[in-house]
Amino acid sequence: MKEEEKKEYLERYEEEKKKGVPFYPNILFKDAIVSLIMFVALLGLAFFVGAPLEERANPADTSYTPRPEWYFLFLFQLLKYFPGRLEVIGAIVLPTIALLLLAALPLLDRSARRHFSSRPLVIAGSSIVVVGIIVLTVLSVVEAPPPAETTQGDQVAALYTENCAPCHGPSISVPMGTNLHSVIALGKHEDMPAWNADLTSDEIDALAGFIQSPGGNQLFTQYCGDCHEVSDLVAGDLLELRRAIDLGAEYDAHDDADISDWSQEITAEQRTSLLNFLAAPDGQRLFALNCSSCHGRSVAYSGDQSDLEVIISQGGLHLDMPPWRDALEASQLDALARYVVDPSSEPGATDLFASYCAACHGERVPQSENFDTAREAIATGGAHELMPVWGEILTSEQLAALVNYTLDAAQGAGIDFGQQLFAQNCASCHGDFGEGGPNPALQGDIIAPISTAEYLTTRDDVTLRAIISQGQPNFGMSPFGSAYGGPLDDDEIDAIVALMRSWEDNPPVEFPPEVVVPPVPLSAEDIYDAVCSQCHGPAGEGLVGPELAGEAFASMYSDQELFAIIDRGRETTAMIAWGEILTSEQIDQLVFFIRGLSESQDTPTPSAASFSNDVVPILQAKCAVCHGSLGGWNADGYENVMTTGDNAPVVIPGDPQESLLAQWLLGTVPQGGLMPPSGMLPQDEIRLILDWIAEGALDN
Amino acid sequence: MASRLANWLDERLAWRQVWDAIFLRKVPKINWLFTLGSATLFVGVNQAVTGILLTLYYVPTPDHAYNSVQYITTEVTAGWLIRGLHHWGASALVVLTVLHMLRVIFHGAYKYPREVTWWTGVGLLLIVIGFGFTGYLLPWDQKAYWATTVGTRIAEVTPVIGNWILRIMRGGEELSAVTLARFFGVHIWVLPATVLLLVGAHLYLIIHIGISAVPKREE
Repeated sequence: MKEEEKKEYLERYEEEKKKGVPFYPNILFKDAIVSLIMFVALLGLAFFVGAPLEERANPADTSYTPRPEWYFLFLFQLLKYFPGRLEVIGAIVLPTIALLLLAALPLLDRSARRHFSSRPLVIAGSSIVVVGIIVLTVLSVVEAPPPAETTQGDQVAALYTENCAPCHGPSISVPMGTNLHSVIALGKHEDMPAWNADLTSDEIDALAGFIQSPGGNQLFTQYCGDCHEVSDLVAGDLLELRRAIDLGAEYDAHDDADISDWSQEITAEQRTSLLNFLAAPDGQRLFALNCSSCHGRSVAYSGDQSDLEVIISQGGLHLDMPPWRDALEASQLDALARYVVDPSSEPGATDLFASYCAACHGERVPQSENFDTAREAIATGGAHELMPVWGEILTSEQLAALVNYTLDAAQGAGIDFGQQLFAQNCASCHGDFGEGGPNPALQGDIIAPISTAEYLTTRDDVTLRAIISQGQPNFGMSPFGSAYGGPLDDDEIDAIVALMRSWEDNPPVEFPPEVVVPPVPLSAEDIYDAVCSQCHGPAGEGLVGPELAGEAFASMYSDQELFAIIDRGRETTAMIAWGEILTSEQIDQLVFFIRGLSESQDTPTPSAASFSNDVVPILQAKCAVCHGSLGGWNADGYENVMTTGDNAPVVIPGDPQESLLAQWLLGTVPQGGLMPPSGMLPQDEIRLILDWIAEGALDN
Repeated sequence: MASRLANWLDERLAWRQVWDAIFLRKVPKINWLFTLGSATLFVGVNQAVTGILLTLYYVPTPDHAYNSVQYITTEVTAGWLIRGLHHWGASALVVLTVLHMLRVIFHGAYKYPREVTWWTGVGLLLIVIGFGFTGYLLPWDQKAYWATTVGTRIAEVTPVIGNWILRIMRGGEELSAVTLARFFGVHIWVLPATVLLLVGAHLYLIIHIGISAVPKREE
C-alpha cells in the first residue's frame, strides 16, 4: 500500500466517522441486544439439553470410540484421508500451513481494495476453506455417528476400573482355583475391603468372571451385550448357558431375536472363555450354584482327585449302583426312600443309610423330590441320570476349580471348632442347636430358629457370614466380626458357618417358631448374661468390650451418660444402639445392674473403712504437705477434714459422688483438675476414702 | 451529591476522558455483523464467570474429578445451570470467534492500519481452541479421556519433536493424573492470563484505531 493510499484511506475513514454515530448508546445498544440473545440461547441450551457427562473415564475400555468435540471433528475427518506415514500431512503440515496463511493474511493481501468484489482470491480461498470445514464435519458425523444414548459400553470393565484397578492395576493374575467370589465379597486379604457391602452378588460374579476371563468379557460385549445385561446371565444355569452358546441362533429363546448365526463364528476357545466369564472358574461359587442344590452346602468327599474328576465329569453316568432290591427288604427300601426324600421323616433309616449308602454317598443324602423316584432308583440301581454329565458342560478350568474346591473344602470342615464357638457366642440367644427362643434383649420377641432347612437353604454363606460379622442391630444382635469390633475373626466365623451348614442336611430343628415357650419378663441380669457379657465379660471384667466393673469405669460416666451410651450405642464400635431393642426401664435396670458390678467386685472388704486407721495415713502422706498450714482445706485431723476449705464441707457423709474430696481424687471436678497434682492415688487408696465417705464419714 | 463525587473522582482519575474515548467516540455507520466481536467478548466473560464458579467445586484429580463434576451437576444449587452455560458457552465462543473472523476477512478489515489487531485476533482464536482442548479433558469421563488420548497422540506425529511434545502434554508417556493437573493448570491459569493480555491489546487497538467502516463498492 502506497503512502498516498494510506493517507487517502485515513481521510475517507475520518469522513465516515463524522457521518457516523456515537458508540454509546447507538452501537452499544445493538451489542447488548445480540449479547442478550446469545445469553438466552445459552440458557436454553443449558436448560433443555444440559451438559452431557458420560461414564467415568475407563482406561481399560479400549473398545470406546474416541470422539473429539464437534469443532475438532473436521480435523479428525481430515486425518482419515492421510493414513499411515502420511498422517503427518493431515495432522501437522496442513493445519500449520492454514495457520500461517491466516496470520500472514495482512501481509499477503496488501492492495488497498477492501470491497469483496475487488478481492476474488481471498474471498474464494476463505470460502473454500469454510465449505471444506463444514463438509468434513458433516462427513465425520455421518460416517461415525455419535454413540447411541444408551451407553451399554463394557459395564464390567467399568466396574473393574472403578473398584479394582486403583489398587490392582489393569489386570489381576489369579491362581487357578481361587475362590474369587468369596475373596471379593469378604475382602479376605491385606487391606482389601469386603465388597459385599457395596457390590451386588451379580456384580461380584461378573468381576470374578472378568478377572479370570477378560477375553470372555469382550466376547460378551461384542455378541451378547446388545440384548443381555451381564447381571442377568452371570452365574446363571450352566446347562442353559452352555446350550445357548452352542446352539446360537437355534436356541429356543433366540427364536425371536434377530441374531446372526454366531455359533459358527465363535471358535471353541472363544466359547470356553465366554463360559469362563459367565461362570468364573471359582470352585466355591460353582459348587454353591450347581452342586449344592442336590448335595447340600457342606462338602464331604473322601476320595482322591482323579476319582472326583471322573465322578463330576461323568455325572449321572458314573453311578455304578447295585440294584438294592436284591439285597434289601421292601420295607427297608421304603424307609430309605422316605429318608432320602425327607431325612427327618424317617430317623430310623439313618443306620440303614450309613451301612448301605454312605460308603459311596458320604454323609450326604442324595436329594430326591419324590418318594417314587427315590424308591425306583434305590431298587434298580445302575446309572440313573439325575446328575448332569458335567464333563460336557463345564470348561476344563471350571472343572479343575470345582475339583480343587471340593477336595479342599472337604478337608478342613472345622465343625468341632465351630460347635465350640457357637456354644460360646451364639447359644445364649439362639440355643445350643440354633433352635432360637425368647430374645433376651427384646421382651416378647421370639428368636426364630436358624437351623431349619428353610432358613439355611435360603441364605448363602456370604449372607450368613455377613449376619454374624455385622450383626443385626435391628433385632438386638451386635456385630461379632472383628472388623466391626466384635470378638470373632474371619476363620472363626467361617467355622461357625461350616457348623450351620452341617445342619442343613439333618436340621436339628423343624418345629415352627410359634411352638416355642411363651415369653417371660426379662431381668437386667438375664439381659446382661445373654447379651452384654459376650463382649464385656460375665462379671464385667471386659473382653473385646471395655471393663465395666472397675472404679475407673464407675467414675467415668454418670448414670445418665451410661444410659445414653446403652440407648444410642457407640458409633464405630460393636456397641449397637440398644434403645431400639430394649425398653427404657430395661436400660435403667441395666445401668443399675452395671453399677452393681463395680460395687460387688471392688468391695472385697465390706468391713467399715476406719478414719484413723485407713484414711489418716493417706491424708498425712499425700495431702498434708500442702493442705495444712497454707490455708484452704486442712487435711490434718477429723474436725479440719470435715469443716475447712473454701467450698466446705468437702465431705458429705454417705455420698461420695457429691463430695468434693472424692471428686478431686477422681479428677471429676467441673473445671477442676486432679489431686494430688503429682498423679492419681492408687485405686485401693481412693477406694478406701470413697468407702469411708459412703459409710457415713465417721470419726472411727 | 453524585455529580460532586463524579467531579471529585474526575479531578483525580480523569475518568471522563476515558469515558469519552471509549463510549462517546464516533463510529462509522455499521451493520449488525459488527456485533459479533462484542458477542464474543460477552460469551468470553460468561466463560470466565461460570468457570470461576466451577473451580469452587471441581477437583482436578482422576480420583475425584468425575465425582466432583457429578456433584456439581446434581447437588450444587444451580450447578447444572453453571455447567450447562460453561459447556455451551465453549461451543458458542468457537462459533462466534470464527464468524467474527470471517466478517473481518469479508470486509478486508485486517488491512492497514489494523494488521496488529488481526494478529492479536489470530492469537485469541488459537487460545479459544486451546481452551476447548484442555477443558475437554476435565470432566474425566470416557469422552474426555479418549478424546484427549487421541488428541495428544496426534501431536506425536510431529517430526523430530513429536514425542517430546506428547510427553510435555501428558506429563509422561501415559495419560495420567499429571496430564489432568497440567490441562487444568493451563485451562484456568495460563490461557486466561494470556487471554487477558490479548483481549486488552485487541480492545485497545479497536478503540485507538476505530472500528472499520463497511467498504464501499469503489474501495
